[in-house]
Amino acid sequence: MTFAPALTTLILFLAIGIWIAAILDAVFYRRISGQGGVSVLSPFYAAAAHLSRQRLTTEAPDRLNWYLAIAGYLAIATIGLAVVPFGPETAVIGIKTSVVLWGACESLVVVLVFLHGWSPNSPLALIGAYRYVAIGLPIMLLSMFVLIAAALPARSLDLRDIVASQEGLWNIIRQPLGLPLFLLLGLSLTLRGPFDYADSADLAGGTSVEDSGANRAGWQVARLAMLVGFSAIAASTFLGGYLGPILPGIVWLAIKTLILMAVVIGLSHLLARMPVARMLGLIWKFLLPIAFVDLLLAGLVALA
Amino acid sequence: MAKLASQAPVPVFVAQGDDAPAETARLCLNSTLTIVETPRAAAILLVAGTIPASLIPNLHRLHDQLPHPRATVFWQAEPTDLLSEAVTVRNDDNLVSVLTDTRSSLLSGSHGTEADLLPDAPPNEWRGVGSHGQGGKGMMGGTPYGRPMAMTAADFRDGLELDAYTADFGPFLPMFPPGLVLTLTLQGDVIQKVSVVHLPFAGEGNAGAALLRLLGLPALAKRLLRGPSDDADFKRLIRLSGVRAAIPPGLGCAPIGSDVRERFERLTTDPGNPSKVHVDGVGLGDLLIGLEWHEAMLVLNSFDDESLRAICANTSSPELEEKNGDSMDHEGHAGHMS
Repeated sequence: MTFAPALTTLILFLAIGIWIAAILDAVFYRRISGQGGVSVLSPFYAAAAHLSRQRLTTEAPDRLNWYLAIAGYLAIATIGLAVVPFGPETAVIGIKTSVVLWGACESLVVVLVFLHGWSPNSPLALIGAYRYVAIGLPIMLLSMFVLIAAALPARSLDLRDIVASQEGLWNIIRQPLGLPLFLLLGLSLTLRGPFDYADSADLAGGTSVEDSGANRAGWQVARLAMLVGFSAIAASTFLGGYLGPILPGIVWLAIKTLILMAVVIGLSHLLARMPVARMLGLIWKFLLPIAFVDLLLAGLVALA
Repeated sequence: MAKLASQAPVPVFVAQGDDAPAETARLCLNSTLTIVETPRAAAILLVAGTIPASLIPNLHRLHDQLPHPRATVFWQAEPTDLLSEAVTVRNDDNLVSVLTDTRSSLLSGSHGTEADLLPDAPPNEWRGVGSHGQGGKGMMGGTPYGRPMAMTAADFRDGLELDAYTADFGPFLPMFPPGLVLTLTLQGDVIQKVSVVHLPFAGEGNAGAALLRLLGLPALAKRLLRGPSDDADFKRLIRLSGVRAAIPPGLGCAPIGSDVRERFERLTTDPGNPSKVHVDGVGLGDLLIGLEWHEAMLVLNSFDDESLRAICANTSSPELEEKNGDSMDHEGHAGHMS
């Protein structure tokens, strides 16, 4: 696949993924809360409702960084999806260090979410921003351990090689601790449920408390885009990506991405969020050692 | 665009007043409405119940935070002087149809958007001595526009000098019990000082649902509002959500006699019969100082209304005594989060 078709595929994958993620989110929410069904057009209605309202600003905001945070979050999500191979040797960004690029994207999410809370010049948004940084840093460490472990069997930091290395056995079987830990990162990157310390209800929306109109729509779309990008990365790293019988590789990737999106959304609606200090204790004292064990086991297997 | 937008649920921000209708908390169960957590996301400001005179400036400030096109609906309440043209809904009217009709009229342009009630200008004079309003000590301090910039102060836990931030919070914040206004001094998100400016309104309360929302479980909060305390599925979902592990043991306990965990379990299994707490001589300072924001919100929302009002009444509130119902603009505060 040449660059232009790959780019078209990426845009379609992202757009359809955002639409389905919004519907899945509403379906889980309404199902758990005991309400009725959801219209498949509801994401478009919600977007139109946001866009029909004025984009308000605050007193002395940092406008440039406010826009940069929203646009940057969407761009980072798109870059994440761009390193995912849609087929053998096919990725929009096909570089030998694509895992490192994704790691950089993860770190930039922390910066962009912080900017989103910093820019409105509003206390609740700022508290959300600082809290997210506190949680984001150890979660990134956890992610690095898990990703390096997944790269070891392929002996490569290229996501295309990591997918190819799962031809005989998926990483979810080879490294059973990896995917559950990586899903926690997904909850954090997409500001969801138990890891939503930036936009949570105790801060009346946190970093997005001052967003209105197009800004609010943009931030919500960026969050959903990040969910699509993350899920595609996770599907490629642990579920064999495009690998599968009979159906085209892109269909297998879409199915696996959809399953992981549903899992992340389900977890976000079903798991309680704990106060920051308690979560920090859980990450540093429990999750990070488990991630290190995951890396240690992968290293021992690679040496054997 | 307007046609598509009219198909979406009506985004409503609820400003709950005294004697608000009991159905206010259950409005979120109506699928044609979305009860939003910030006025920035709302098209309609719903004022439910009577807003006391001392809180009307807060209501007007809140009103101006809604994006255009916007409208205000008073439900079982008299409009304020500045909002005399707002839609009014009496007991026997159908609130939901009024809200949907008002939003449709806003989108079509047949209902004009409401103008700002307050001047778009700083609430206080520029009082800094420096060219940019600064003028305290070195690069810090000063009171530009009457709002002091954060000055360093020792954290009471370890003496570390950080920026202390003081502001009023309430009375319409969705994570606060309705009517409650607190003056909080924060170091980061840790509460250093607390005083009460306005007591929460008396009412039935929905502390169980409020706690579930704060714990990141809004769908289960809705389910609780439907009254499923004997629903086996609900109980199983609550257990699997890890709420017990999420709420720190002993949080909000001393010297009350029960902690948030215990009160949460009672609120979600038997909402009509909340845990009895010993509130004699206990103030908010005893419960909130030293807690980070999320923990403090969990504690605030874990009491029945009667107990919380008693605790607030026990809390030192020199500002309340000084003002005695006057405007709540404070020289020593950085602002308001209504």
